[in-house]
Amino acid sequence: MIVAGCDVGALTAKAVVMENGGILGFEIIPVRPDAVLSATEVMDRLLRNLGLSYTDIDRCVSTGYGRGMVPFAQADVSEVSCHGRGAHWLMPSLRTIIDGGGQDFKVLSVDDKGLLKDFRMSGRCAAGTGRSLEIMAESLGVEISEIGPLSLRATSPATITKPCPVMAEIEIKRLVVEGVDAADIAAGITRSIAQHVMWMLYRFNVKKDIAVTGGIAKNIGVVKQLEEMLGIEFVELPADPQLIGAIGAAVFAADQLTSPRLLNPESHTGMKSRTNSRNLQ
Amino acid sequence: MPGGTNKQQRSIYAGCDLGICSAKVVITENGTILASEIVPYKSFPDRAAVAAMQGALHRVGLSGDVVVPCLATGFGDKVVRFADRTAPDITCLLRGLRALNPRVRTVIDVGGHTLRASNTTNNGELHHTAFIEDCAAATGLFIEVMAKVLEFPMEELAANSLVSENPIRITNTCVVFAESEVISFINEGHSRYDIFAGIALAVAAKISSVARRIDIFPEVAMTGGVARNVVVKREVERHLGLKFADLGGVDSQIVAAFGAALLAEESDLTGTKPGVDRR
Repeated sequence: MIVAGCDVGALTAKAVVMENGGILGFEIIPVRPDAVLSATEVMDRLLRNLGLSYTDIDRCVSTGYGRGMVPFAQADVSEVSCHGRGAHWLMPSLRTIIDGGGQDFKVLSVDDKGLLKDFRMSGRCAAGTGRSLEIMAESLGVEISEIGPLSLRATSPATITKPCPVMAEIEIKRLVVEGVDAADIAAGITRSIAQHVMWMLYRFNVKKDIAVTGGIAKNIGVVKQLEEMLGIEFVELPADPQLIGAIGAAVFAADQLTSPRLLNPESHTGMKSRTNSRNLQ
Repeated sequence: MPGGTNKQQRSIYAGCDLGICSAKVVITENGTILASEIVPYKSFPDRAAVAAMQGALHRVGLSGDVVVPCLATGFGDKVVRFADRTAPDITCLLRGLRALNPRVRTVIDVGGHTLRASNTTNNGELHHTAFIEDCAAATGLFIEVMAKVLEFPMEELAANSLVSENPIRITNTCVVFAESEVISFINEGHSRYDIFAGIALAVAAKISSVARRIDIFPEVAMTGGVARNVVVKREVERHLGLKFADLGGVDSQIVAAFGAALLAEESDLTGTKPGVDRR
C-alpha cells in the first residue's frame, strides 16, 4: 500500500510518499505562482526520484493553504489536523503540540490515535510570533539567531511590559540607553514571547508529552522559558519540522484506505476554530 | 508658593506634558497661552522635558534657567525635574479643553501610543473612559510606521490623501501585519496617496469603534498628535457623523500641557493643590 501526502503552504510545497508505515521519500520546493503548479511539480519530482508513477499511489491526501487545488489528491484535511497527526505518528506519546510560526502560533492537542481534540490559534495580533521576535531582536541590534543563546547568559532578566513588538521597540531602546546588559534584555524578549504562548495555553488542557515545532523551536531561549513556565521538558521530534503536515496527510491517506470512517477526521470533534481571545481588538 | 530666588514680576506658569513620544510645554499668563514647545524624543524623556521647557521660555524672552511654577503630567511626569507638582493627564486634558471650548463634553485623545475616549458629566467631571493600551493599532505609532514604509513626509501624505478617490482597503488591524500588507500594495504599483488614504480609513474606523464604547455627548473634540492629521480627523468625523468642536486654533497636541499650566496657576491662586505636591 503506497500513500502520499501533499502540503501546499504559503511559502513551500511539500510531498511525502509512504509505504506500509514507513517513509519512502520526501521533497520540498518553494511555491510557484499557483497552487496547482506547486503541487504537481513537487509530486512529479518526488515520484521521479522514487521511480514511481501516479498510478502507483493508492491514495493521496492534500493539506495546507492550497489543499483544495491539488488535482491528484482524493481528499483534503486541514493543516491543523495533519500537523497533529504527523507529529503523533512520529512520536505516539505526544498529546500537545505548540507550533510557533512567523505570522502566527498555535497549540493543538491530539488523542491517543493522533486525532485532533482541540486547538487554539493566534489571530490578528503579531505579539508572540516569529515576526515579533525578529522586530525585538532588531531593536536590540542582534541577529534573531543570537537572541536565544544570548538570553541564557542573563543574570537578572529585564521586564518588557508591552506585548506589541512595535511598542516594545521603544522600551528596548530605552533599556539599551540605560545601560542594561544585552543578555538581560534578550531574556526579557524571550520571556515576552513565551508569556504570549502561555496566555494561549491558559485553560487549555495541556497533557504530556509536549513538543514544540515551527521556527520558535529553533530559539533555545524561548524553549527554555516555556519549559520553565510549564514545569516540563519538551520532547524532540525525529523529522524535519517542515514535513510534519505532509507526513500527517500521508498517514491520513493510509488511515482512510483501512477505515473509511476516517474520511473526515475532523467530524468527531464538533469544534469550531477559536482564535486567541487575549487579542486586544 | 513655589519658586523663590528667581521670582518673576509677571505671573507666568508652565505645564509640562511628557508623553511616550514627545515632551510638550505650554507657558501661560492669566490663563492665556504665551508660548508652547514640542520636543519629540526617542531615549531620554527627562532631557526632552528640559529642552521643551527651555525652548518655551526662550519664546517668551526668558532665559532657560528661570524657575517657573510648573505642573507635570503624562506618562513621564515623575522625571520632569523642574516641576513642583503632578496631576493625572485626564485631569489636565479636561481642564485645557474647558478653557478652550467649555461646550466640549466628549474628548477623543489619540497620542503616540494610546487611544482614549472620555466623556464628562454636566458638571464637567469625568464620567466614562474607553481606551486601548498595549496595541499600536490606531495610534500615532501606526501611522508613523506606515509613513516610513511609504517613504513620504507625513504632512504631504495627509494633505494629498484628502482628495484620494480610491482608498486602498487595509484588512489587518495589527501594525506588524498591516506593514507587510502596505509593502505589497506599494509593489503592486498603487498610488501612495491612495494607500495612505486607506491607512487613514483603517485608523479612523478603529478610533471610532473605541469612541462608540462610551456615550458620545456633544460637543466632541479630538486631541493628541493624531488629531493634527487632517485626513484621519475627517474620516473619524465621517464615521461618527459629527463635526469636531473648534479649539480656537490651538494645536491639538498641547491641550493637556495647557491644562497643566492652568492647574498650576489655579493652585497658586486658591492655595489648593490639584495634584501631588512634591515639596
